[in-house]
Amino acid sequence: MQTFIERISEYREKLLSMREMVIANILFTGQIPSPTFREEARAQHFLQRLAEFGVDECFTDDIGNPVGILHGRRQTRKPPVFLVAHLDTVWDSHFDYNYVVKEDKIIGPGLIDNSAGVGVLLTLPEIFKRLELTFNSDIVLAAPVQSIGQGNLAGIRHLVAGWKGSIRSAICLEGGELGRLNYFSQSMVRAEVRCDIPDNEGYLSQYKKNAILILNDVMDQILAIRLPQKPQTHINIGKIEGGVKHGEVPSLAELGFEIISDDDGVVQEVASQIQAIVHNIKHEYDVQLEMTVLSQAHASKLAYNHPLVKNALSLMEALKIKPAIESSESELSVFLSKGIPAVTLGLTHGDNYHQHDAEIRIAPLFDGILQLLGILTAIDNGVCDE
Amino acid sequence: MGCVMSDASWIGTHTFHHSEFADLQRLSDEKVKKGYTISVCLPTLNEEKTIAKEIVILRSELMQRYPLIDEIVVIDSGSDDKTRTIAQEYGAEVHLASEILPKYGDYRGKGENMWKALYVLKGDIIVYLDADIKNIHHRFAYGLVGPLILRDNIRYVKAFYDRPIVAEAGKLRPTGGGRVTELLIRPLFSLFFPELTQIMQPLSGEYAGFREIFEAVPFPIGYGIETAMLLDINKRWGLDIIGQVDLDKRIHRNQDTLALGRMSFGILKTFFARAQELGLVELEGKMFDKMIQYHLSDNQYVARQFETPSWERPPMLTIEEYSQKFGKKPNKS
Repeated sequence: MQTFIERISEYREKLLSMREMVIANILFTGQIPSPTFREEARAQHFLQRLAEFGVDECFTDDIGNPVGILHGRRQTRKPPVFLVAHLDTVWDSHFDYNYVVKEDKIIGPGLIDNSAGVGVLLTLPEIFKRLELTFNSDIVLAAPVQSIGQGNLAGIRHLVAGWKGSIRSAICLEGGELGRLNYFSQSMVRAEVRCDIPDNEGYLSQYKKNAILILNDVMDQILAIRLPQKPQTHINIGKIEGGVKHGEVPSLAELGFEIISDDDGVVQEVASQIQAIVHNIKHEYDVQLEMTVLSQAHASKLAYNHPLVKNALSLMEALKIKPAIESSESELSVFLSKGIPAVTLGLTHGDNYHQHDAEIRIAPLFDGILQLLGILTAIDNGVCDE
Repeated sequence: MGCVMSDASWIGTHTFHHSEFADLQRLSDEKVKKGYTISVCLPTLNEEKTIAKEIVILRSELMQRYPLIDEIVVIDSGSDDKTRTIAQEYGAEVHLASEILPKYGDYRGKGENMWKALYVLKGDIIVYLDADIKNIHHRFAYGLVGPLILRDNIRYVKAFYDRPIVAEAGKLRPTGGGRVTELLIRPLFSLFFPELTQIMQPLSGEYAGFREIFEAVPFPIGYGIETAMLLDINKRWGLDIIGQVDLDKRIHRNQDTLALGRMSFGILKTFFARAQELGLVELEGKMFDKMIQYHLSDNQYVARQFETPSWERPPMLTIEEYSQKFGKKPNKS
């Protein structure tokens, strides 16, 4: 680690000479629409680019994850280190995906979540070459599909479950926010409640059942659930959709929420309570009201004094990056739940995260890449093997 | 419904797809072997939204990864936005058109920038790209230079593409664009130069060619540049030196009908001047210089007159400073 820190300015200079290549890879990747379950075109591009950069093995697994493997040193070959950035975005295909590049930033839908992550991942083979970085481990560059929402991390689950042999460690990349250091996942259930009122009550009725008001009842009862302070638990109601226009009684409404806790048992218990609320209200109003679990993650973590976490923090300090420690229930949780040491890092600063005019700042991106390279070097030197 | 084209096989032998030139290593090797240098010229006027992306992608793919392009040069008409600053920031060479060959005066127009560019560009092959391409990809450059490097008979290449246009709220309309081509240019070519109807998009703003071609033809400074260049090259060297390349999609800003009307006016003026020189038409009366359009204001039709520039720059070879700089024999014709 110390050797890496001593060479930071040299590495930074070399990275800056590759600025256009890094930006170009973010643009090429991000401008291909990639909504969850329809990531084929972006996956194809990912593989094509890796092949162009001379990656030793490039393939797509049977769920559609594009994967590249850079072979480690033959004499001292160690189990692989995974570098992953999820390929899907929250945006549908019908947008103008053409990004705008300004003096100091890039603007466009899906940039922070997660085109910047994928673009940087794609540039790594060339970065390794130009910075003359070689590794004992094979480096697996993977952009898992079906990560977000209903994707329920299916891509990364499939990749890790089907991997033959052990995995040494993993780093998950997200576009933002630089300083983000995730090394624990809380237990999580992500679910939707959908209220669907059939139109057989007559479309002119002013007094027919109102799907939004029924969901309002559901919300009131969810908010009345007593949650323990220890293990710390909370419910986040993050999404609500319904209705067509101001004067029409809505016949369809949907509510999206997450239950998050340090304890798997508590999450399951709260999920059962919400299921019971939904069941009761369904019978009370005699409507179609269903709760669907979209995604689940188990609580798992590295200790704060785990060498991977300690090394990540020292490197951030050397790069003057202020760490922001929080839980992440994304790809990280899949690695941690299998006992594989892993962290999630943010690559740069940005704004308008999930807006169509999301933007990332270009200059901090290079600190983000440097922290990634430093942590990867530390892993390759054995910090996770202790 | 018979075909009257003088060389109907041209379209089969001179039409390419950019994917034929995607082996960039081979293209770069061949370029070096033949000793060519390649310049990309971006004529600009207030293009701060798109200029950086074009430069970044071309530099990354065709300079840093493969040594295909030797320089990217922006020739600016005096933008009052940040076009020049941004272009410089991303490593392009930037010139104000008015500061190149100042003794010959200064006009505002794409043709003017392209003409003056010849004096500052260093390449044997010159690629002109519009600076407003939203979906810029390096195929726009390698697709155009590919035939010039690999096919010895081809000296000038024009692009053609699908042209989706950006509608409101960032949504794309899958078809559209090319209206002036289909409503004006193709009927004119069908009447006077049927062999040129094989050129899919004669008005496309992206083309490349050898310096020897560009320095020998005049440059109208306004809208007529593409039409004039095509007619002049065809007249002087014939269709065989021209190629066209399918670059797939090009997304651009949509222009309203009135703007296209003014563009058509400029093109018609250039076209009739060329047709007259060739003895194809005789105009007894004088052509007027102003395009007149009407709009409704306070329930009254109000005329607006637009003067479209009809000035043409002479072939660059006739400019003494140019001949001296490039060691060319001055052509005073």
